[in-house]
Amino acid sequence: MAAAGKRERRSLWIAAIPMALLALSCVYPIYFAVNNALKTSKGYILDRFGLVTDPTVQNFADAWGRARFSEYFVNSVLVTAGAVGLLLLLSSLVGFALAMLRFPGRRFVFVAILAALMIPIQVVLVPFYRTVEGLGLLNTRVGLVLAYTAFFLPFSIYLMTAFYRGLPRELLEAARMDGARFLEVWWHVMLPLGRPALLTLGILNTLYCWNDVLISLLVLQDRRTLMVGIAALRGSTRPTCRSSPPGSCWRRRPSSSSTSSSRGASSAASPWAP
Amino acid sequence: MIDLRHVSKRFGGHTVIDGVDLSVEEGEFVVFVGPSGCGKSTLLRMIAGLEEISSGDVWIGGERMTDAEPYDRGVAMVFQSYALYPHMTVAENMGFALRIQGLGAAERRRMVEAAARKLHLDHLLDRKPAALSGGQRQRVAIGRAIVRDPKVFLFDEPLSNLDAELRVQMRIEIARLHQTLANTMVYVTHDQTEAMTLADRIVVLRGGRIEQVGRPTDLYDDPDNLFVAGFIGSPRMNFLPGVAAGPDSVRVAGLEVRVPGLSSRLAPGQEVQVGLRPEHLTATEGVEVPLAIEVVEQLGAMAYVHGSLAPDVPVVAEWRSGRPRVGERVPLRFDPRDLRLFDREGRRIR
Ligand SMILES: Nc1ncnc2c1ncn2[C@@H]1O[C@H](COP(=O)(O)OP(=O)(O)OP(=O)(O)O)[C@@H](O)[C@H]1O
Ligand SMILES: [Mg+2]
Repeated sequence: MAAAGKRERRSLWIAAIPMALLALSCVYPIYFAVNNALKTSKGYILDRFGLVTDPTVQNFADAWGRARFSEYFVNSVLVTAGAVGLLLLLSSLVGFALAMLRFPGRRFVFVAILAALMIPIQVVLVPFYRTVEGLGLLNTRVGLVLAYTAFFLPFSIYLMTAFYRGLPRELLEAARMDGARFLEVWWHVMLPLGRPALLTLGILNTLYCWNDVLISLLVLQDRRTLMVGIAALRGSTRPTCRSSPPGSCWRRRPSSSSTSSSRGASSAASPWAP
Repeated sequence: MIDLRHVSKRFGGHTVIDGVDLSVEEGEFVVFVGPSGCGKSTLLRMIAGLEEISSGDVWIGGERMTDAEPYDRGVAMVFQSYALYPHMTVAENMGFALRIQGLGAAERRRMVEAAARKLHLDHLLDRKPAALSGGQRQRVAIGRAIVRDPKVFLFDEPLSNLDAELRVQMRIEIARLHQTLANTMVYVTHDQTEAMTLADRIVVLRGGRIEQVGRPTDLYDDPDNLFVAGFIGSPRMNFLPGVAAGPDSVRVAGLEVRVPGLSSRLAPGQEVQVGLRPEHLTATEGVEVPLAIEVVEQLGAMAYVHGSLAPDVPVVAEWRSGRPRVGERVPLRFDPRDLRLFDREGRRIR
């Protein structure tokens, strides 16, 4: 018994070492960014890796003010909130319809949505840009909200449909017997019951919208979201090696793989692309 | 109250309900029975408005409701799976229909509490369905139906998920409910006892058609055909192959028996099926026939005895006195008036 416990503990330790390394690889870049963001220019040039000695928040203030991050931040928040809200609303409605209602062609619609899931964003960039331009939505936040919604909707619908398919049809029928019409069934029954799936979708879509650079770069060309701002800062000619680390503190990442180093704008492109 | 006028239901090319005509009186308790897949649930759901009607008409309370929305039909339904809303409390579940109607919270609460008292649910009103036992969920489902005070209650096998004891209890409760509310009820089951005890009238369905409609005792004593005779009653009626020996007598199990009370005449040599219920095989007087006992199902108060009257003529007899033993050969008696005759197509010969 005790021997078994010991062996178990040892195997736990063996597993813990790579886990810890993995965790460290995720935490270190954050530490590195925060640490350097608090240094002055001089401190940064003299010692890149050492712990900060005379912390200053001046860099943050510069980024917020002079580099117009405050404006970008508002753009990011508004666009992300708008897109995620719209995505949740639409995917829950469509998922309910596809999973529960019987109407001709519903299988075809579902397959078409699945097919849309296979198309990487890069492939449709040109027609997408033309469409946005043609609609007069270039450089508007509404345009970006709609663009995010369009690109992330297929997956969201797929997830909600799969989730609602798992619920018994009798719930819908009971609600109809109780006198609820389509939207009332959705509002009173389907939306509350879909909460676990909606929560997951909300988190995923928030991350993707917040971290996107590619779509944002195309649609909001002179207003910029935060991620575009950070990406631009990195490539700008001004010697602001300092402003980049505080900038990247704003950045939240979905996984450790994209955390590893600074990459070009395309690194945060389509999360759905294979 | 409910009038089904030649209603049919087709799924694709497959006819599931085939031209059913049925009329249910106000306050009546009607039970649909039939083998699995015969279309009981489908017919009930057509009345509820959950299943589109392919042809024919449904009238409820004197109005044509063929295309009406479920709620507008004034019917409430209790589902086999209960279909309680898992995210709502018992009170919210029961009050949902009232909330959709736009009633205020206070009035809703008052009506829900009144219904809950009838079903002894008062102390459970603030629980979620997940925290209830099967029987309690069942009662909530019924409560949800009675809160609305509908003209018609529809039940689709409401007790089939309960254990035997609870089922008996709920059966009595439903019977009591029907007495106090006096609403029209349509009830689907494949439990014989539920059908016999609850029904004012039983509708026997087979393959989407009505085989017979009648009071439980009528179906039991006077079935229209072989199917109803075999379906109603447990253990089922014995069917013995026979041949007409005269205009009103048959040769069965080596005996020639005169069947009294026949209005039609048998053609001598005509093949018939002779039906005889297990409890009619142990009469104290009448025609005597020997039985070789093969299996005994002893239930204490009575026993079901399986044996054969002649080679290849197996029967079941209900034994109320003594303790029969396997291997014995005993004389049985039956009254020829208890015989039911059916022709080759299974139609009753009266
Ligand atoms: N949506 C559907 N599509 C196609 N066929 C269906 C559909 N619903 C039911 N059926 C068919 O209709 C027939 C009757 O089904 P129904 O559910 O009414 O039977 P039932 O008498 O209630 O059976 P059970 O006692 O098993 O509940 C079955 O053969 C079933 O396969
Ligand atoms: Mg059924």
